[in-house]
Amino acid sequence: MMLSEESVKAIKERAGRYPHRKSAILPALTIACRQLGYVDETVYREISKIIRIPMVEVAEAATFYTMFPKAPRGKYLIQVCHNISCALLGADSLIGYLEQKLGITKGETTPDDLFTLISVECLGSCATAPMMQINEDYYENLTRQKVDDILQDLRSKA
Amino acid sequence: MQGKVGVFVSIGIVMAEQVKKEQAVSGVPMVTATIDGREVTVPKGTTVLEAAREMGIHIPTFCWHPKLKSVGACRMCYVEIERMPKLQVSCATEVMEGMVIQTASEQVLQGRKAVIEFILLNHPLDCPTCDKGGECDLQNHTFAHAVDDSRYSFKKARYTDGTDGTTFDDKRLGPEIVLNRNRCILCYKCVRANKEAFGEYDLGVYERGNIAEINSAPGHEVDNPFSGNLVEICPVGALTNSDWRYKIRVWLTQTTSSICNMTSSGSNILFYKEKNHNKIYRVTSRMNDSIDDGWLPDVSRYGYQIATTEERLKTPLIKKDGKQVEATWDEAMTVIHNRFTEIAEKKGKVCLGGLASPYLDNDSLHSFNKLFRTVFKSNNIDFRSDYRMLPEGADSPYEMLVDQPFTIADIDDSDLIISFGSDLIREHPNEYLRMRKAYNFKRAKVVSINPYAVKSADIAELEVIHSIGRAETVLNGICLAAMEMGLVNNQDLTGKIAPATTAEAASDAGVTEDDLKEVARAISSAKKISFICGEMVSRSIARDTIASALWNLYLLFGFKDKGQMAILPRYANSRGAGSLGLLPSPSDGLRNTLSGLWGCFPESDPNNTDAMLALMRKEEISGFFIIGANPLMLYPDRQFVTDGLERLDFLVACDLFETDTTELADVVLPLSSWAEYDGDYVNLEGKVQHARQAIKPLYQSKPAYEIITMVAEKFGAPLFESIEACRKEVDELLSMTHSTKFPSQFLEVKPCYEDAEEEYPTPLLICDDPHHCGHRTEKSQSLSNFVSEAYIEMSPEKAEKLAVKDGESVRVESPVGKIVVPVRISDCIDNNVVLIPRNFASTQVTSLLMRKRRLDRVKITKVDE
Repeated sequence: MMLSEESVKAIKERAGRYPHRKSAILPALTIACRQLGYVDETVYREISKIIRIPMVEVAEAATFYTMFPKAPRGKYLIQVCHNISCALLGADSLIGYLEQKLGITKGETTPDDLFTLISVECLGSCATAPMMQINEDYYENLTRQKVDDILQDLRSKA
Repeated sequence: MQGKVGVFVSIGIVMAEQVKKEQAVSGVPMVTATIDGREVTVPKGTTVLEAAREMGIHIPTFCWHPKLKSVGACRMCYVEIERMPKLQVSCATEVMEGMVIQTASEQVLQGRKAVIEFILLNHPLDCPTCDKGGECDLQNHTFAHAVDDSRYSFKKARYTDGTDGTTFDDKRLGPEIVLNRNRCILCYKCVRANKEAFGEYDLGVYERGNIAEINSAPGHEVDNPFSGNLVEICPVGALTNSDWRYKIRVWLTQTTSSICNMTSSGSNILFYKEKNHNKIYRVTSRMNDSIDDGWLPDVSRYGYQIATTEERLKTPLIKKDGKQVEATWDEAMTVIHNRFTEIAEKKGKVCLGGLASPYLDNDSLHSFNKLFRTVFKSNNIDFRSDYRMLPEGADSPYEMLVDQPFTIADIDDSDLIISFGSDLIREHPNEYLRMRKAYNFKRAKVVSINPYAVKSADIAELEVIHSIGRAETVLNGICLAAMEMGLVNNQDLTGKIAPATTAEAASDAGVTEDDLKEVARAISSAKKISFICGEMVSRSIARDTIASALWNLYLLFGFKDKGQMAILPRYANSRGAGSLGLLPSPSDGLRNTLSGLWGCFPESDPNNTDAMLALMRKEEISGFFIIGANPLMLYPDRQFVTDGLERLDFLVACDLFETDTTELADVVLPLSSWAEYDGDYVNLEGKVQHARQAIKPLYQSKPAYEIITMVAEKFGAPLFESIEACRKEVDELLSMTHSTKFPSQFLEVKPCYEDAEEEYPTPLLICDDPHHCGHRTEKSQSLSNFVSEAYIEMSPEKAEKLAVKDGESVRVESPVGKIVVPVRISDCIDNNVVLIPRNFASTQVTSLLMRKRRLDRVKITKVDE
């Protein structure tokens, strides 16, 4: 089993809340992602067994949503918004800076498995552009200096 | 088409008026609307598309299917509805009172044209190399809407499989199904049919938006027993099967209406043939709402390949010096005549027997019957080659239950469907799909009562898995529960059945008391019940005891007024063979009609298959005529059959190809398949259906009817003046009103248990693989692509106990035989039971069985490599 006992328990608890077991797919995938950082075929199969629905239903839902990473990734997932407001305020150069700073290109993970960098569509924080999301936190009104500080901070925490 | 969509009037539409009358009775409110200037009244809840179709107005669709729920994915069925600002999809819009609908206005046509232009943006337009070309919905609609140019000037997106570095677009999804993603228009019809209608979860839609794709479930192949339908319903060439791919263009073929020879419901099929080459290329369904709903199990779709295989017997063979050598029909007939006459003279009494296959048509079966009864004066005749120790007499509880009326379409509106002793997917796939339909659309309650966890129980509200060999105890328990709970008034049953209380019955049968009570409650509260019994009853040596218990249930709950209960026959013409009296001792009515028709009826002892085999061993039957059957492979005691057949003086066997049985024969005759001649078949409902000749008999083969009449002529006793005379007799027999018999009072049911032996602890059931039927289908290339060798199916727990993994070989031993087969682990099997399919000549599974046993038990050990 890839899913921990706690995750299995949490998924079972969630599955009991809905009139149809199928409704528990998204919560289950979220719980799995929180534990593992990603989901794949093995996870789909485990979830399908826990909530007793066909595996293909889990796979369909998981691939439909981009929020579920499909492969292992770094401890910190950096998602930089590249939509219009952020782009006008220099998102592109920010991504370039992050690439240079981390020594990877967009879509890659640092060799120490700490950071994965991707760019995404609008995260709904245009007023504070440019911005990025790292795991579940927003970092807003970014400058190069701020990026340096954030990375420094995360590295020291890791 | 001049850019206009014509209004096509289809024949055979259901008249709206008639619907109105029917619905008014059942209390569904009616609504009236105007479609294209005509008024129509339909039950509330009818979609605009359905209402228009009822009026004969054609609205083009891609994603809509008459037997599936609407999704409105393709937007092709646009119509204009007054007071609605935008075009509406007619497949997902219900008719409302006073609606005024235009189905072919300027705006509608423009809307549909835009939909097609959009669908075609990235479509490869490879019609010249696409197998769907000529029968493609996209091609037809594009042509009809005069979409002759594209405004999209960019490079089309193209998916490539990429795994082998080629740019070729095809991806194999399963043994018989290939996907071309570029052609796919994402109507989701295949995925919906697979999940909704078939209950299979091996195909899905992944990703979203412009990268959405149809694909098999991760780590799985699309190999479910209904997968051929996905190809048939695909509106474009995205899904194709290797059966038809790149073989012929559809417009070069002609179609012939026929009947499936692999299921007992007789699915309606179309043969696609090329008459100059005398060759069949494929089979598709011919939708018949009263039988198959337009779905074909793969065994019906690909089963035709048993006719086209290269392995067919090409000429008659005669055994000379222990070797079968090619001969002419004349030579074969002379040998048959001489040897049969010689044997009869030597013995001086009835010593000939015959076994026909229930796959044969009415004419063949009737002439076979007449040959034996009038020419050979013998009552040694049967058509059942795979049921051990059959009971005698037409009035046994079992035979009465086999003769019960049953209507497939009635499953649709049953509110309770019980499958008892039947693995429906393997035995009666059409009825299984009906059951799913009733569950999907009418929320019917499904109950499964079986000795192991069957796949069809996934929709069951209640699944009762009882100890194997205790079927009658479960039924008794249900009756007892009903009486104890006061659900029924009749108490006459008390004392006739054992054990005496629900609690005892539950513990004997290995189920819980609550389960029995729950079933009793379900039956007593249901308004319309379909109770389907299958092969596990028919094949059991205790079939009369189980049938008696079923009759008690029938009488106790008053099934006569609220439903149907029957043991369904297994083969294409089993019901016909029974109705035509191809039994050792037919009912008195049949016997009288037959002797009236023929002017005589033999007085000799009636002997069924089992009794005939026993007589062969005693050398009292010395000549045997087998037509289409393969008892050596299917009779549940191989040694018994071998001993019998080997002791014969003379054996004639007719079949499509060489089989275990033909190998022993002195004369082998090549038989034509059902596609090669005209014939009538009686399906499990008793409905007579006609199968037309698609191709001329292949090689030197002959239809069974011709072979039988040739034999009779050789004996100087022509059976019929012409085939019409034969058909007249058949019609007379079939039109006889069978008085359906019921037992007048409760029957005594004392369960008979067989004790388990310590040495052989595992109960074994012999079944058909879901992709096969009987001994013939392994010769179909497509069906062999799914499964081509026997396996032993067991639960994961069982496999763990034996320390074997999926695919590893095990030795299976019974007191009389042993075989080695690979393991297949399945979540569906439970209860310590194991299954082995009987369809493969390479594994002689019947050598493990003993004819007098109720349960076959085996010992399984891992084979060390």
